[in-house]
Amino acid sequence: MKILVIEDERELSKSICEYLGNEQFITETAYNFSSALEKISLYDYACIILDINLPDGSGLEILKEIKANNKADGVIIISAKNSLDDKIYGLKTGADDYLTKPFHLSELSARVFAIIRRKSFEGKNIITFDELQINLTEKQVFIKGKLSELTKKEYELLLYLVSNKNKVISKSAIAEHLWGDNMDLADNYDFIYTHIKNLRKKFLQHGAPDYINSVYGMGYKFSLPKP
Amino acid sequence: MKLFAKYNRINITSTILIFLLGCLAFFLLLRYIVIKQVDEDLKIEKNEILTYVNRFHHLPNIIEVRDQYTAYQKLDKPLHIDKIFTHTAYEKNKRRNELQRTIEFTFPVNDAWYLADVSKSLEETNRLIASIIIITITIILLILIVTFFINRVVLKKLWRPFYNTLETLQQFKLSNTNAVQFNNTNTDEFQYLNTVLTNALSKAQQDYQTLKEFTENASHELQTPLAVIQSKLDLLIQDEHLSENESGIIQSAYDAVQNLNKLNQSLLLLAKIENKQFSETTVIDLKEMLQNKLSQFNDLWKSRNIQVQTNLSEKSIRGNKYLVEILLNNLLSNATKHNIENGFIHIILNDDLEITNSGISHSLDENFLYKRFSSQNKETGNYGLGLSIVQQICIASGYTSAYNFSAPNVHTFRLDFHASI
Repeated sequence: MKILVIEDERELSKSICEYLGNEQFITETAYNFSSALEKISLYDYACIILDINLPDGSGLEILKEIKANNKADGVIIISAKNSLDDKIYGLKTGADDYLTKPFHLSELSARVFAIIRRKSFEGKNIITFDELQINLTEKQVFIKGKLSELTKKEYELLLYLVSNKNKVISKSAIAEHLWGDNMDLADNYDFIYTHIKNLRKKFLQHGAPDYINSVYGMGYKFSLPKP
Repeated sequence: MKLFAKYNRINITSTILIFLLGCLAFFLLLRYIVIKQVDEDLKIEKNEILTYVNRFHHLPNIIEVRDQYTAYQKLDKPLHIDKIFTHTAYEKNKRRNELQRTIEFTFPVNDAWYLADVSKSLEETNRLIASIIIITITIILLILIVTFFINRVVLKKLWRPFYNTLETLQQFKLSNTNAVQFNNTNTDEFQYLNTVLTNALSKAQQDYQTLKEFTENASHELQTPLAVIQSKLDLLIQDEHLSENESGIIQSAYDAVQNLNKLNQSLLLLAKIENKQFSETTVIDLKEMLQNKLSQFNDLWKSRNIQVQTNLSEKSIRGNKYLVEILLNNLLSNATKHNIENGFIHIILNDDLEITNSGISHSLDENFLYKRFSSQNKETGNYGLGLSIVQQICIASGYTSAYNFSAPNVHTFRLDFHASI
């Protein structure tokens, strides 16, 4: 699956590509309006990450073009402007999501996955990771085939971790994702640990390995345990 | 003192003074003329007597004339007297003293010398002068009163444009984007004042606008570099070979970027509120919104062992949804952040919202409470902008906030939404 990153700030574009690119996704970049139009006229993409403020044109024009020619399954707008009007206009024009800069790469990744899942696996919306099965429509989690009762927060946390599997996710990214970015928490993320602990407990209860690794107080990484 | 009163004080004093002096001069002049007239009459009388004596060589008969008295007196020896003077004499007929003008002169009749006294009463003329003076004073008083009222009305009318300008100025707000509109006037001075004021104010507004735009633009421009830094750090923490030491360094940088980001968001929000970008209001179910917020904060409170008690009544207010959310958020964040281990938070929603929390054991200085960057309790990530934002939202939405401290360590913030629905 191909992802197009339309962003004039090269370093940010590079970061996004490096984070998202893996065996599942191929990322392509466009640094300006004209090359973006050229790329979308040539190829179809699973998801397009679109910066609205480009040096030689408005990202919203590109969005109209994408929508008119049905060039992507999903579009995520990234903008330095946290303006409600822009957001509403972007979503009305057909964007699937809107993210304000600066954002956590893990957040962007989770949203890209959400869009692709939503568009590509209609009806049969199940994520599998090792012994885990997450039914997105029913919001149910099966560990080793057995239904496990997760709280709403635990479910969201698990989904976020799985969307960023094999990646270290910072605590602040998790906090923002689960509790919103308006909460001024003064760098105290102890409360996340409670939910992580509960998730681990549930994995172990059902005989699954502990997929959540703590990384030096920086954050957590969801991956298969090292043999 | 009012300009009008000041003007009147000078005006009336000088007018009265001039009129009094005028009165006096008028009185003296009138008196002088009248006496001169009487003197003329007396001289004519004298001439008549002398002519008569010259022709007939005996004294004329005394003819009774009203207010004129003639008397002759024989002299022992020749004497030359010829004078006119004023004096008071007892008048038998009227049985009282009266002021008289008398001409006294001597003349010979057949070798005998006589002294003649011809007097004219000044009573009548004095009465005349008095009447004239009274009439004059009355007229002067009338003129004064009339001028006073005319001045009052005219001045008020003349100064009307000035007061209009003042009124407009009083309503002027630097943050308003509309240009000031002064009423036009045909008085040059006031028109000039208005022009000068309009120019000065629009310049100030422009500068203020530029400053505000600068803040907003600067904040926007900061977003992209911040995004780059944050993305690089997000990538850096993926490195599996980081030592504990390196991780610590990255974590510190990460936290600092987070704080910078929050600070920038706060500044941007303040600029936007001041730029009135959240003018759209709806009716908000405050209880419902508060309950949502409480569920968000619940985990945080649990982890810090803070006891939360709530007493929420139904309450709807009018406001901007986004701003009210931030308002609640900042107040709750504040109550949480500045709380103590095993502390408490009490939230009471009735007609107003009261958030009480345990905290430091002294009162916060209200003078600095809402000031930007004057955090009285410097902690990481706390730049003292939270309450500034609360205050700005209150101002923008027409709410009022009040802070109260009660011993030993209880801090209360109260929000009064007024009749904002």
